[in-house]
Amino acid sequence: MNAIASHLVAASTSHIDPDIVISARDLVKAFNSEVVALDRASFDIRRGSFVSLVGPSGCGKSTLLRLVAGLIGKSAGELSVLGHGVTGPSHDVGMMFQRPTLLEWRTAVENVLLPTEVQGTTTDADRRRAIELLQLVGLRDFEFSFPRQLSGGMQQRVALARLLQTGANILLLDEPFGALDEFTRERLNLELLRIVDDVEATVLFVTHNISEAIFLADQVMVMTPRPGRLAKIVDVPFERPREIALMQTPEFNSLVGEVRSILGGH
Amino acid sequence: MSLATDGNLSMTDVAHERGSLAGRVMRHVALFLGVMLVWELASYYQFVDPLILPRPTAIAAALVNMVLYQGTVWFHLGVTLWEAVAGFVIGSAIGIGLAVAAGLNESFRRYISPYIIALQVTPRIALAPIVIAWLGFGMMPKIAIGALICFFPPFINTLTGLLNVDEDANEMFRSLGAKKRQIFFSLMLPNAMPIIMAGLKTAISLALIGAIVGEFISASEGMGVLMQRYTFALNMASSFAVLVILTAMGYVLFLLMEWADNWLVYWRHDARMTAISRKKAKAWAGVAGRR
Repeated sequence: MNAIASHLVAASTSHIDPDIVISARDLVKAFNSEVVALDRASFDIRRGSFVSLVGPSGCGKSTLLRLVAGLIGKSAGELSVLGHGVTGPSHDVGMMFQRPTLLEWRTAVENVLLPTEVQGTTTDADRRRAIELLQLVGLRDFEFSFPRQLSGGMQQRVALARLLQTGANILLLDEPFGALDEFTRERLNLELLRIVDDVEATVLFVTHNISEAIFLADQVMVMTPRPGRLAKIVDVPFERPREIALMQTPEFNSLVGEVRSILGGH
Repeated sequence: MSLATDGNLSMTDVAHERGSLAGRVMRHVALFLGVMLVWELASYYQFVDPLILPRPTAIAAALVNMVLYQGTVWFHLGVTLWEAVAGFVIGSAIGIGLAVAAGLNESFRRYISPYIIALQVTPRIALAPIVIAWLGFGMMPKIAIGALICFFPPFINTLTGLLNVDEDANEMFRSLGAKKRQIFFSLMLPNAMPIIMAGLKTAISLALIGAIVGEFISASEGMGVLMQRYTFALNMASSFAVLVILTAMGYVLFLLMEWADNWLVYWRHDARMTAISRKKAKAWAGVAGRR
């Protein structure tokens, strides 16, 4: 990290709004000092909100997510999570990927317990919580199945339970159901809404599907590629809980049209 | 996929299609006996010189004589088995150890790889006379030759397995704040286990080859010595009997490796996986509060 960047981080901690959990100012990520993956993104994400990141491949949405997760370092600008500059992975932030990334030699419940194990010793309370989480994601009776014995959708449910087991309040989801069929995906999206509402998490959800982005979110961050830029943040005014029928309404479709036109210019 | 599993699959799956299991086995036995009979007759009527290719019955007789009455074969078998297993253990330990070091440390990997490649492209069996010149005539040189020949598959397989970790899984561990040691033991090593076991299966046969070749070059005991003695005396039936014993020994070693694979890489074997799944459900009954 260079001197200017760390100076900016120090400056950013001076004006803490307790309701803002993720804050970025002119955040830049360049690979090999040439390819600009993310160009000067600025945004604030409020506690408990569900924010979608939508855009075509190469728009920097996954880069943005990895920056927030502390998996990669920024090139310039400011980025803070819960008022602190991001320097590496934090227990406040959990991440879920497009692929389930389960350990095939562990049962479902042992996979869910991985975050606890990594952080220290596992107690019976942790084990009970893991079982409860598997039930919460609809996997009662599959706690002791191995990943290879589960369908793709069920594997992703295990990954979701594992994410919740981290106890993190900020959940970063990188196209979590992108590899699943349309029906499974729709159902899991609805369950995801119910679950994150339950655990009162702040969610950053990456997708390339505009309708999905709008349907799930309070705000949609629309991103455009080459270089990756945050083009606009669109507010989604629809009430919760939401039903699938919402997607048929003219209001919903006009919002889809708005996002599409922002993306269309590129 | 291993040979033994394939064999099991064909024994069960195909049995459903083409009659009963007993019928299948009968056909295999009949085919084997048929081939033996043709061989026996060809030898008996001198189509082939029995001095070069002895009759199956003569081989069987030599085998029975060797195993039941002479008894010295057990000693020679023990020597060869010990050489092969010791060579296998040492070679595999070196191979896996080097691979772990190379897998964890990139600069070590860079420096070591030219030597590993050089050793791999050298026909290592050609080193056997040198090794014997160094280590003398006992069992040590045979063990060393076995280790030298067999270390490469465990090495390259372990290295490949350790480096072929899914990038997303790696990121997942890092996002959990896992330390390097945790990533190694909880992700990289189990992930590499199936391919490491495949390397070990190849290694055990190579170690056996190393031991036998070492015995050919210079030894006073072991199955290689026995084989040479009988062949030089033109006692071909006994030579073939030695070969049959070596085949049986190779097969037992192979089965042992299959068994180890079944235990260590249980998640790739459906029956074992289901059994473990059930066992864990039982062990967790107190926590889960049901079942």
